[in-house]
Amino acid sequence: MTTATTPMPTAAALDAAAIFRISDLYGEPDWLRELRAAWWERASSTPPPTGQEEEWRRTELAGLPRDGELLSDPPRVQITVSPAAAEAGVTVMDLRDAVRDRPELVRRFLGRGDAQESHAHFWALAQAAWTGGLFCHVPAGVVLDETIVARTELPVGAHTFLPVTLVVAEENSRVTLLEEIVSADGDATWYGGIAEIVAEPASEIRYARLQQLGDAAWNIGAQRVVVGQDAVVTTLDAEVGSRVTKVGLDAQMTGKGGTSALLGLLAAGDDQHIDINAHQDLAADHTTSDLLYLSALYDRARAAFYGVTKVEPRTKQTSSYQECRNLLLSPNAGAEPIPVLEIEANDILRCGHGATAGAIDPVQLFYAQTRGLDHDEAERLIVRGFFEQVVTKVHDETIRSRVLAALARRIGTAEVEA
Amino acid sequence: MALPNPALSQIPTGYKYGWNDPEAKSINIARKGLSADVVEEISRFKGEPEWMMKLRLKAYRHFEARPMPQWGADLSGIDFQDIYYYLAPTDRAFDSWDDVPDYIRRTYDRLGIPEAEKKYLAGVGGQYDSEVVYHNIREDLEKQGVIFLGTDEGLKRYPELFREHFGTVIPANDNKLAALNTAVWSGGSFIYVPKGVHVELPLQAYFRINSENMGQFERTLIIADEGSSVHYVEGCTAPTYSTASLHSAVVEIIVKKGARVRYTTIQNWSQNVYNLVTKRAVAHEDAVMEWVDGNLGSKVTMKYPSIYLLGERAHGEVLSIAFAGDGQHQDAGGKIIHAAPNTTSLITSKSISKGTGRTSYRGLVKVYPGCEKSKSTVRCDALILDEAARSDTYPYMEIDEEDVTIGHEATVSKVGQEQLFYLMSRGLSEAEASAMIVNGFIEPIVKELPMEYAVEMNRLIQLQMEGAVG
Repeated sequence: MTTATTPMPTAAALDAAAIFRISDLYGEPDWLRELRAAWWERASSTPPPTGQEEEWRRTELAGLPRDGELLSDPPRVQITVSPAAAEAGVTVMDLRDAVRDRPELVRRFLGRGDAQESHAHFWALAQAAWTGGLFCHVPAGVVLDETIVARTELPVGAHTFLPVTLVVAEENSRVTLLEEIVSADGDATWYGGIAEIVAEPASEIRYARLQQLGDAAWNIGAQRVVVGQDAVVTTLDAEVGSRVTKVGLDAQMTGKGGTSALLGLLAAGDDQHIDINAHQDLAADHTTSDLLYLSALYDRARAAFYGVTKVEPRTKQTSSYQECRNLLLSPNAGAEPIPVLEIEANDILRCGHGATAGAIDPVQLFYAQTRGLDHDEAERLIVRGFFEQVVTKVHDETIRSRVLAALARRIGTAEVEA
Repeated sequence: MALPNPALSQIPTGYKYGWNDPEAKSINIARKGLSADVVEEISRFKGEPEWMMKLRLKAYRHFEARPMPQWGADLSGIDFQDIYYYLAPTDRAFDSWDDVPDYIRRTYDRLGIPEAEKKYLAGVGGQYDSEVVYHNIREDLEKQGVIFLGTDEGLKRYPELFREHFGTVIPANDNKLAALNTAVWSGGSFIYVPKGVHVELPLQAYFRINSENMGQFERTLIIADEGSSVHYVEGCTAPTYSTASLHSAVVEIIVKKGARVRYTTIQNWSQNVYNLVTKRAVAHEDAVMEWVDGNLGSKVTMKYPSIYLLGERAHGEVLSIAFAGDGQHQDAGGKIIHAAPNTTSLITSKSISKGTGRTSYRGLVKVYPGCEKSKSTVRCDALILDEAARSDTYPYMEIDEEDVTIGHEATVSKVGQEQLFYLMSRGLSEAEASAMIVNGFIEPIVKELPMEYAVEMNRLIQLQMEGAVG
């Protein structure tokens, strides 16, 4: 692979020529040059949010660091996977390597899906200007029991990095994947990673994303999940780091009988701002989509959540729930949970939502303290217990322990196992 | 609000209040359309003090400057230049039904108002198009200093009290429609309940639009002084016309220390009315404010009764019922602003959509920093009766204080086939069974209504159900 010799443009200075330079740099095939150009066209014709949109009212984009150079030769994604997986035909590699080694496979899936309207600009930008990412493909019928871990560590410096993650599980296959994103404190990075998760009929995907960016980084991401007939997808979004996080999640329930569980764990402190937009689109009969986001908010942290559950006209027997709970652990923390329902069908099995915000129940705190814990220990124990509602739904041990370890950075380690 | 009235049962189905009075004559028909001249003309015709005319003109400029809301319901059917802003049927309000012109009186008789007044109410006001035509309050209350007047009359007779409070809860530039109301307001109720006085029976106002292309812009101001209590009830109907009418009211309520106000609305406008109303109350220390808001009629309703909890331990409640049938969009809800510690609130919403109807619950709970120990619960339930019906829930929350308990829950469901089957196996028709299930669904709110309203609400729901299922 070529190493960068000419400086890459900043995000603010991106243009069609710069997009071609990325292709030149990586020596990409024509189809990919064309694909990038088409997405650049879309990014240019889809204006960035103005702040007037319902989804963007709670996050001020003016501070987004647009002057960092596009990261031209990011370190390869570090992937932990057994040799048995490769033998079974599973492809899991850095996206650049996949383009080189499995071009036909990548071509079949890359850049096919569009984001929800509110995140379309940033989605298109990453599709056009990605310089790294992850490709994971599981062939039909392959059931993988291990947990693949893919870790991206950003180099030091205020970069712009817009990677693309693509996870495809073909019919009757199963895969579990943890993606970790890490960067150093102090760097005003623009991390704009997007992920497309495609579950073909009767497949099962467990996808967790653990975000541990540095304290000056901006995380403007989007994730699209497409759930085919009778497929089951569980996603876990663990947001620990960053100065500002603004993520759009889109669950497209397009296959009859598909199921999705969208889980989120947020632990934020200092001046962190985390804003999640979720969109659960129940577009096929007998689909189920349940969302559960839990936030623990310290110091001056603020968590906004604006989610829409949409039940499409004439669908039958769909089932959905949207739940967002916020634990406020400081007088200066704030939460804006807004779970919206738009229901255009009457034959629904179940549809509801819940949102809460509040402090720890003082009775719980008192009780824990009477058992000999000091205030901080008691608080940690209760926060850990609060997260349990999601943790018990994460069946994979590797994901559970790594996510909890990362959250402990903010909440502290509970001495007593909850 | 109509009470069960034998005469009405002869009108077979559908909207029962859709007739108009052909002999109605307005003594002052301003031309259609809105301009600063029309605003001035209304004010001059009413013989208002200078400050009010200035406020109207200022509000008109706000109205002009602001765009139409781009969220919520489709308001593209409103043509502000195709509306009459001021039609006065008489030159004054009467305090005896015998003096009210015959044709107007017949309308109120058909609606059952004079009869209800005798039986259930402490006072009644009737507004017909732009002006209040009837106003009366029981003598004993008047002697205790309770004021219950048409708002124009209130301005004339109590100018200082009026000016001290008017526009303080909803300022002229609050939103486009409130600005419009401030510019062209006419009629409404002006209520003052002195310290410690409890008005035991409800005061009622009945709003009737009669003319085509009419805009009704009543303005209500309620002041409950310390330790007092009052229950105000309003009902509204209009003839069915093919053209759009606009009802854009503003209601301001001041609930002082330890006072209690309940405001009940049964909105049953005909299905050509755009109902865009701003209602807001401020509740001081230990005060209790309750909105009971029933929306059954209109083409489009956008209305979110609000309560600002300004004093410690103030409590606010919004009970909202919305029923949307074919072609209707009820965009209703409530807003509670916690601006003092130890304040509590409850929003309960029940909505039913039928045919091609759409109900939207839109609400806000906001807690300012420092309002510790505040508690709020929001509960929304929706019932979707038909395939083409739609139901939305937009529950906004902004919580900037840690030591609070704020929760929102909602469910949406269809009428269970099993429930229907069970009731039908007992000999009920499908329409009867559906109506019974719907009545059960709204029961928690209906039981908060005065008895005669509860009966009427159930009857209206029944009527709406019959309109389409049968």
